[in-house]
Amino acid sequence: MIGEIRKKRLIEAMVDAGLDGLVLYGNAWQNDYLRYAADFGILEGEGLAVVTRDGDVTLYLDDELEGERASLECPEVKTVVARDLIGTVSGVIGRLGNSRIAAGPKRHLPYGLAARRGDLRFEDATALIDRLLMVKTADELAAIRGAARLADEGYAVFRNAAAVGKKDYELIAEIESFFRNEGVDDNFMIIGVGGPEVRGMAPPLGKVLKPGDLVTTELTPCVNGYYVQICRTLVVGEPNEAQRKVFGIYNDALEAGLAVVRPGVTAADIARAENDIFRAHGLGDYVTSEYTRVRGHGLGLFPDTKPHILEDVNTVIEEGMSLIVHPNTYNPEIGYFVHGDSLIVRTDGPEILTKTARQLFSVDAKRAAA
Amino acid sequence: MRHGLILWREDELSSADVKARQARLQRAIAAAGLDGLLIYTNHVRSAGVTWVSGFTPYWSDGLVLVLREGAPIFLTALSKRVGEWVKSVAPTFEVAHSPFPGKIAGERLAMVGAKRLGVVELDRMPGGVVDEILSVLPVELSDATDLFAKVRGQADHAELKLVRHTDDLAREAFKAGDVKSRYAGDFTGPVERAVRLAGAEECYVAVAPDLAKDRRFIRTGKAELGRTFAVRLSVAYNGVWVRRIETFSSVSEIAARLASVSAELDRVAPTLPADGSISAFYLPEGAGLVDWHLEAPFGTRPLKVVADAETSLGAPVPYGILTTAFSLDGETIAASRPVGFGDNVLREAAE
Repeated sequence: MIGEIRKKRLIEAMVDAGLDGLVLYGNAWQNDYLRYAADFGILEGEGLAVVTRDGDVTLYLDDELEGERASLECPEVKTVVARDLIGTVSGVIGRLGNSRIAAGPKRHLPYGLAARRGDLRFEDATALIDRLLMVKTADELAAIRGAARLADEGYAVFRNAAAVGKKDYELIAEIESFFRNEGVDDNFMIIGVGGPEVRGMAPPLGKVLKPGDLVTTELTPCVNGYYVQICRTLVVGEPNEAQRKVFGIYNDALEAGLAVVRPGVTAADIARAENDIFRAHGLGDYVTSEYTRVRGHGLGLFPDTKPHILEDVNTVIEEGMSLIVHPNTYNPEIGYFVHGDSLIVRTDGPEILTKTARQLFSVDAKRAAA
Repeated sequence: MRHGLILWREDELSSADVKARQARLQRAIAAAGLDGLLIYTNHVRSAGVTWVSGFTPYWSDGLVLVLREGAPIFLTALSKRVGEWVKSVAPTFEVAHSPFPGKIAGERLAMVGAKRLGVVELDRMPGGVVDEILSVLPVELSDATDLFAKVRGQADHAELKLVRHTDDLAREAFKAGDVKSRYAGDFTGPVERAVRLAGAEECYVAVAPDLAKDRRFIRTGKAELGRTFAVRLSVAYNGVWVRRIETFSSVSEIAARLASVSAELDRVAPTLPADGSISAFYLPEGAGLVDWHLEAPFGTRPLKVVADAETSLGAPVPYGILTTAFSLDGETIAASRPVGFGDNVLREAAE
């Protein structure tokens, strides 16, 4: 079980750091720390996992329904439902006595706990856990490969469902239904539909697909807790000359970014390789934060984990990291455009996980929604 | 995250509806001697901000600062580009951006000379955000969960109509499931698809695959369905959450009985009060109550258990979701329905 493998690694890291206990917070948005220890995909409410160096993991949840589900879905972990989550876990930390405890993630740790950092005497666990989240074991990488297969299949479903007259949220309904049937726990997905007026992606707004539209999406299925992303753009009808030309630039940028990936380079090196392609085409303004957020990011138990691929991020890329490289940004001629593939960093370069062809897809403009 | 339709619909929840809520909250803030109120949001703890603004984040987090006067301010680390989307789906607040939203909260509080800030669920506020606020202004923080609950507990017409619509949507979606399905996912896939095609903002599906063995709910689609099984559908539509549990059977005689019980529940549930009591609840003749609880929007939580057999309701709630388990003719039946949104309640809320 992958949860057991992670727990073993976690305990080893605790021993190395001289820690006796860890307290890890999570919710359905920011669940990577909690899931690393307790292997529970929390959906509602909040949770804290308490891990001791002898291998005991107790999952404290504030939601009765989630407590019930956790007892069935991860029976190897002791689950406690505590409406007073903070009071209960504070008491547990207090009873650990003269031990070295660390808690995290720092930014999200509830104030009721964080404010007692002094009297409960716990340290910050953020860096320790971030390291484990970024550089993965062979078993974690195998799980990520499994999720990649579903990212490709999901994009095929998306492409086949796109049709003139279909609403953006109806497209997403098809994907979500497919993913649930395939055992996909969650899916980070945003979408854009239209032309030059579209400056980014968001949840669906009820837009109706029409000939000439670009349809952009990030699909990020989560399988057994691990997220893998694919970014592609399709055109409703035959792509025009501008759309083909722009696709070429983004494809070159993606390939330039991927070509740099290997252990020892920095996140900034990858971002710079992507952005240089845009600058060479006079599109340097469009790789700034006004038009784009990141040029890729880490993937794992969180769909947007460290390292962020940006020209000012000097995190060293290591073997065993999983990333997506995506030169997604706004183009003034045709609108927001996305194109990206997930990978695992290996000694000899990237192992590309997503197999969907790198092409500007199109759907027949005569294909109408049922 | 939220995957479904997020859209400002003036005909369902108007700017006037939201401004009326904001005004009620501002009166309570002033009456409590506070200079402002802070409410945290992410897509799990969305309910407080959704109520006060109509906005639900699909991802990431943010804060809404409500001062004694003026429009609330949504403080977020999201980019200005995403901020344009936020404004398009929630025109009821100002949007301010910073990688450190707590710092802007501190700055805005300093601008009005604030000394006392109420925080909804203070002990659950992300510690980093509180550090950001206090790094700018050493304001006195107090927990304002009860204050907020008191204001929030008063139902309004727009919200109750959305409850009714969302429940209708969920009820219709169940019709897409095939009771002869072998695996849970075969039943729930078409149901979830139907919910989303109807424009839901989000949908969670869970299954108790064989009620003869266990009445706990899990999310896996791979479980084989027993003779009698239950499906829990949690649906969000335009910021309002509803849960429905239906029990099904592949045996036609049992299925007929279950359908009859379900129809009767639908008839009586809306008129039941969301007051944490079970006495008025419909139980079929010969049935024995096994368990119950009441959920409701509370604080930042879209739905939270607020009463059960051991715990009485602590504060009024705008509507509730009553969940029961009972035995009937040797079968276990699980059922959830929204309560407290019938015509009588709607009329009162409109007045």
